[in-house]
Amino acid sequence: MAAPVASLALGLPDPGSAAPQRQSRRPGMLRSLEITIPGAILLVLLFFCFIWPLVYPVPSPTYGSVLNADLPMWSPGHIFGTTNVGYDNMARILYGGRTTFEVAVAVQAIGLIVGGLLGVVAGYAGGIVEATAMRVLDVLIAFPSLVLILVIADSLGQSELHVIWALSAFSIPATARVARAGTLRLRDQPFVVAARLSSVRTWRIISGHIVPNLIPQLLTFSMLGSGIVIVIESGLDFLGYGIPDPAPSWGGMIAYGQTVMSVSLSPLLVPSLFLFGTVVCLNLVGDGLRSRWGVR
Amino acid sequence: MAGSPGQRVRRLGTSMAALAAVKGEGEPGGQAALGGQAAGAPLLEVSGLRVRFRSRGGVVHAVQGISFAVEPGQTIAIIGESGSGKTVSAYAMMGLLPRTAQVTGSIRFRGVEVVGLDERQLQEHRGRNVAMVFQNPERSLNPTMKVGSQITEAIRRHLQLSRQQAHERAIELLRMVRIPAPERRFHEYAHQLSGGMRQRVVIAIALACEPALLIADEATTALDVTTQAQIMDLLLDLQQQLGTALVMISHDLALAATYAEEIMVMYAGRIVERASAGDLFGSVRMPYTRALLDAIPRAEMEPHVLLPVVGGRPPDMLTIPPGCSFAPRCPDAQQDCTQAVPPLQEHEAGHWWACWHPCQSGQGGQGGQKEAGR
Amino acid sequence: MIPVSSPAGAGAAPAPAGDVLLEVRNLVQEFVLRDYGGAKGGVLQAVSDVSFELRSGETLGIVGETGSGKSTLARSVIQSPPPTHGSVIFQGRNLVGLSRRAMKPARRNMQMVFQDPFTSLDPKWAISRIVEEPLIAYGLGSRRDRRERVNSLLDRVGIDPASYGRRHPRELSGGQAQRVAIARALVLEPKLILCDEPVSSLDVLVQAQVLNLFEKLRSELALSYLFIAHDLALVKQVSDRVAVMYLGKLCEIGPVRDIYRAPLHPYTLALLNSIPAPSPRAGKSRESSVISGELPSPLDPPSGCRFRTRCPRAQERCAAQVPELRPLGAGGHLVACHFPLSDGSAPPANSKARAEIAGIVRR
Repeated sequence: MAAPVASLALGLPDPGSAAPQRQSRRPGMLRSLEITIPGAILLVLLFFCFIWPLVYPVPSPTYGSVLNADLPMWSPGHIFGTTNVGYDNMARILYGGRTTFEVAVAVQAIGLIVGGLLGVVAGYAGGIVEATAMRVLDVLIAFPSLVLILVIADSLGQSELHVIWALSAFSIPATARVARAGTLRLRDQPFVVAARLSSVRTWRIISGHIVPNLIPQLLTFSMLGSGIVIVIESGLDFLGYGIPDPAPSWGGMIAYGQTVMSVSLSPLLVPSLFLFGTVVCLNLVGDGLRSRWGVR
Repeated sequence: MAGSPGQRVRRLGTSMAALAAVKGEGEPGGQAALGGQAAGAPLLEVSGLRVRFRSRGGVVHAVQGISFAVEPGQTIAIIGESGSGKTVSAYAMMGLLPRTAQVTGSIRFRGVEVVGLDERQLQEHRGRNVAMVFQNPERSLNPTMKVGSQITEAIRRHLQLSRQQAHERAIELLRMVRIPAPERRFHEYAHQLSGGMRQRVVIAIALACEPALLIADEATTALDVTTQAQIMDLLLDLQQQLGTALVMISHDLALAATYAEEIMVMYAGRIVERASAGDLFGSVRMPYTRALLDAIPRAEMEPHVLLPVVGGRPPDMLTIPPGCSFAPRCPDAQQDCTQAVPPLQEHEAGHWWACWHPCQSGQGGQGGQKEAGR
Repeated sequence: MIPVSSPAGAGAAPAPAGDVLLEVRNLVQEFVLRDYGGAKGGVLQAVSDVSFELRSGETLGIVGETGSGKSTLARSVIQSPPPTHGSVIFQGRNLVGLSRRAMKPARRNMQMVFQDPFTSLDPKWAISRIVEEPLIAYGLGSRRDRRERVNSLLDRVGIDPASYGRRHPRELSGGQAQRVAIARALVLEPKLILCDEPVSSLDVLVQAQVLNLFEKLRSELALSYLFIAHDLALVKQVSDRVAVMYLGKLCEIGPVRDIYRAPLHPYTLALLNSIPAPSPRAGKSRESSVISGELPSPLDPPSGCRFRTRCPRAQERCAAQVPELRPLGAGGHLVACHFPLSDGSAPPANSKARAEIAGIVRR
């Protein structure tokens, strides 16, 4: 026998019936551990990357004396040790983390604004506008993303800004697609039809009805996407296309750590763990938000 | 096969009897698994059933102590609005409630207790003893499987038939539910069938193993009124043919009146009135039932007449106020109504109600008037 | 100051019908179905050559089952999407083909209430904001005027603005949410409200409450309704005239009492007989006048009269010739049938026709 949906048995509203939608006070988001714990970890990380160096005299990540080269972990004054030219690894982790977050936020923000706008307009307008916009984006999506990004990064040259442009070529079409799909779905909802019937102007419909109802979907998509962005960005750094040495980046540190792997594991493990941990936390928060907001 | 020899003989149609003989060979002692049944004993006996759910806002008291019995071959309707607990009761009878549900009380099928059985025993119970037809046939049928395969799947789950025999029986069932060209339809998918036909397939699956009790949970609510009439007629004919008892769950009192022998009205997790269809409409007692009757638009009514209504909403099942649950909305409520819960008692022969101040006899609501002009 | 309608006496008697408010002529709505890859798969004619008129102050109920096209008809009237052919003349102007700007004044007088209040109200908006939106779109009144109007309307539909104004639709019950939808439909003081199965998703007692609200508003505000439902009994409560649709075509249309007492089209009779009557039948001897057969596919409807495949009175002529909607007798009762149940002049041949249908379709 078909098993019933648990919510039906609970007497919670079945879309087929008209049960009163009694929304008993849902505990705030802070009560769901799957969001709070990874979220707290991320916040702590952000704090240390951005705020801590302003308050505490963290040694410069790009200045050091060869006398301090290759210090191991837990050395006094250099908790994570130093690189082969004496740069403090802890500082490099922190400043590298800064780059990572900056790139992630910037890329996703560009994706949301440019891609989101594109997708919503295309989805709502339909017709030739939609067709053209989508075909253009299809061209971008058709390229394998890594190859595209490598090409762009290589041709633009090494710099954080160029990395951001390169990765945006990936996040804009992806976000646009999600935005367009959501807009198509919302456009035919009765409440949008009702707004049209009351002669509400198009831009007000988009800004007042479509966008606010898209935000949960777009936000979770961004959160989950930022994990991917971080990994790709670190990959670029690892390959040497991204942030130029000696500026710190997690990917670059992993590349270095790989070369000294036979001698000491910590230069490889420490940045890898930070990268791994950050991406996992982002994914957990994104997933938690998705299930909480009921986004597909 | 399940059932006494007397029940077997009742089955009409040679093909059915032939298949019955085939079935009899294949089964391992079905009778013993269900426990013995004394002649004349009720098929299903529910006593003091309570169901509670743990939810985010607190404890939901979905069903607050209901008791009734279903005789073999009887047609009973359980009527209630959303939140009355009728669907939860049905799921309890099927053993389909999730683990978060706390079920107390007793549900005995042919003397065997269903509450507290483990999943494996429940799977035996479902489909063999009791089967259910749900509201939306789209949700009950697997869209990726042929409809015929879904029937044979149900058959082979419970009966030891070969594939060929199961196929034949499935065709027979499709014919029994009046689907034309059953051999062809066997190989079709759910989306190729209309709503009414899908529901017939669901009925065929439900009856595949000839359960003694069929529960129809708003089975016709999603169908057009003409299709609804067809399906209900089908159900009743099948009932007569197979001797199955039918419990109809619905919000539609008119539907119950037309098709059920006995009607139970539920409100806020309790049974508030229970009577034969004739008694319920002829002399309705519980003000809630009367409110339901009054609220049904009739084709015989004059247009532009306001329906008599009661205001308010059913209570939140999280908190149980003292006294009768309907008291806050009841036009006849008095002081004592909010103090103690009126018990369900058989105040007249065959007519039970739970009310301190029932309607006077003779007040039949609108249903008691003869229809005009039809 | 936004003019507020003074409530007329809430009597049960409907106002006498006035001039023609809405005239629909030969309306056709087609949908092109696309196969995979965008190729044209087939044409679904959801509404097929439907014509009727609606007078001011009158309510027309439209009844039909799945696939009858009744909801599509409503959407065609409000031009969302506009019909493929035909004209919709509202207050003297044909709305078909008008630009959005040109339709703006007409839209003020024609509003709609949808079936499911939880999808017809933006879940992210507060109740008062939802009801206020049309006023802002038309630029009516100052902020204070708008608030006043919204509050008075919410009161009128039975929602307390003080406690519910700030809430979101999810926090309301089905009946309350539908009342908000009704308030929104009323805020521009329209003359015509299209109601697309507005009570189908509600519980019985709530349904009665909301139906009563519709009826009260109708008489207080002198509204006209185009009331769509699948339930014949329900639609009778609010209608002056009733139209029955089947597979995109109008079968019958006439004054409400005539339709129910003396239906002319076999489908109407079958619908009436399929309604479970809320009174007990002795034992199980109910009239087995259920209709037989299945609904034909709307993509490939039967030739001639679309109902002929299920009609016990069908003859050759029914397959050959599409029956026209023509009046039978005086009194504005029109039917599209070659062999209607009576010729209109004789007293209702109800019982005879009924027995005929019942006898033929009884299994």
